[in-house]
Amino acid sequence: MPPLLHLQDLSKRFGQVVIADGLNLEVEPGAAVGIVGPNGAGKTSLFGLISGDLRPDHGAVRFGGRTINRLDGAARCRAGIGRTYQVPRPFEGLTVFENVLLAAQQGAGAKKNASYALAGQALFRARLSAEANRSAASLGLLQRKRLEVARALASRPRLLLLDEVAGGLTDPEVRELVEIVRAANADGVAIVWIEHVVRALMATVDRLVCLAGGRFIADGTPTDVLASPAVREVYLGTAMDLEVPA
Amino acid sequence: MAWVNALLQGILIGGFYALFACGLSLLFGVMGIINLAHGDLAVIAAFIALTIAPATGLPIVWSFVLVVPIFAIGGYLLQRTLLQASLDRSPFTTLLVTFGLSVVIENVVLEVFTSNGQSLNIGSLIANSFNPSTAISISYFSLVVLAIAVVVLACLQLFLSKTMTGRLIRAVADDREAAQLSGANYRHLFAIAAAIAFATVALAGMAYGMYTEFSFSSGSANLLFAFEAVVIGGIGSLWGTLVGGVVLGIAQQVGAQINPAYQILAGHLVFLAVLAIRPRGLFGVRAAT
Repeated sequence: MPPLLHLQDLSKRFGQVVIADGLNLEVEPGAAVGIVGPNGAGKTSLFGLISGDLRPDHGAVRFGGRTINRLDGAARCRAGIGRTYQVPRPFEGLTVFENVLLAAQQGAGAKKNASYALAGQALFRARLSAEANRSAASLGLLQRKRLEVARALASRPRLLLLDEVAGGLTDPEVRELVEIVRAANADGVAIVWIEHVVRALMATVDRLVCLAGGRFIADGTPTDVLASPAVREVYLGTAMDLEVPA
Repeated sequence: MAWVNALLQGILIGGFYALFACGLSLLFGVMGIINLAHGDLAVIAAFIALTIAPATGLPIVWSFVLVVPIFAIGGYLLQRTLLQASLDRSPFTTLLVTFGLSVVIENVVLEVFTSNGQSLNIGSLIANSFNPSTAISISYFSLVVLAIAVVVLACLQLFLSKTMTGRLIRAVADDREAAQLSGANYRHLFAIAAAIAFATVALAGMAYGMYTEFSFSSGSANLLFAFEAVVIGGIGSLWGTLVGGVVLGIAQQVGAQINPAYQILAGHLVFLAVLAIRPRGLFGVRAAT
């Protein structure tokens, strides 16, 4: 059986800025993988390459055994790649339910009655059912993050890309979000989760990779990766950079 | 009484401006395309009606039954090809492309139909009016155009707020990338919006041809009024476009009442005043930049 997601020698640069430098990664169906790395390491751009927002300069993105380089974002969503944005991007002119219904119909291809059921289920899984009829513009941060997850789940993904969904939340909120993600993972959805809130990752993933300068510098169990000298050096480096007055 | 008449004429002509402007408003609101060929499209609609009516034996008034679907299909196809290709490059490219389209259309129309003025002759329908007093004259035809504008805008509003396709169009207008990652095919949705915009400009073009004489160059002259209606009403608001059209119409008629030479100038002054005092327009959701 081929891996669900397979990145082969993926490279991308914007002018002089290298955001992916020959990345190789395999994610098995149903896996839960965390991605850490300093700011500017290319983490969000990596999601852009996988979800179709960005096109690689060379290398291949393979999903379910098929090369999807040429598919646009909508086709990749329909193929089973769901994604949340670091800064939530709800459709503010629509209600919460309409936001999710749109993904159920367009992303999962569900029709009429089935699409409403799927949308309702996604809202329930993201613990947002009570807010279904509110305008998406009126939601607070936690609810916006949940809406991102609900919308991604409604497209019935096989792979869910989570971009810092725990950022900016309080501890109890993070725990709730972790439960939502773990439940989705238990249902068979593979998770790839970019996160600075390491305790959220530790509670969810069984594999961690570290991205720095457009390269993976560590890959293994969360404890091993966080303890590895290469990762410590990278994080220490950024910490020192931050202390230098500009 | 003359002032009351000026006000009424302003409202009536405002209905026409709104009908003319709603396609422009939709294209800009959904895709961010400023369609400089909008006025020329209206002119082609009038010329097509002029050609089709004798060929098919349809009375000119009914020729919209053919012209509107032709335009809707044309709008869909043009968006999927030329306009989408230019959008993929940059918003500035769409401006150049629609400008080019405008020049090409004017010259093709000039070649095919010569520079002679034409009009869509609907006989006595255009002349009939309702005269409650000697100073006030309400043309039935203008009233019908105003009613069509209101109905078109109301239907469009309902379509955008109540149907799933309408919600999808609002979603891609709001955040195209996020809509794509929810599986939405924005190219198809953009093209549906373009089809609607083209259908409305066909109606406006035919109404214009019935009102008055038109020629190959009438389009660019009228584009300005449509722009003013959209900006006065506020970008992104369909009812705003109606109000914008009416405000522009009233300003022109009241200006003409003061001095016939002030008609167009008065409209421009109101437009400038709105831009200066309230740049997002009377009902706009975002600023005109």
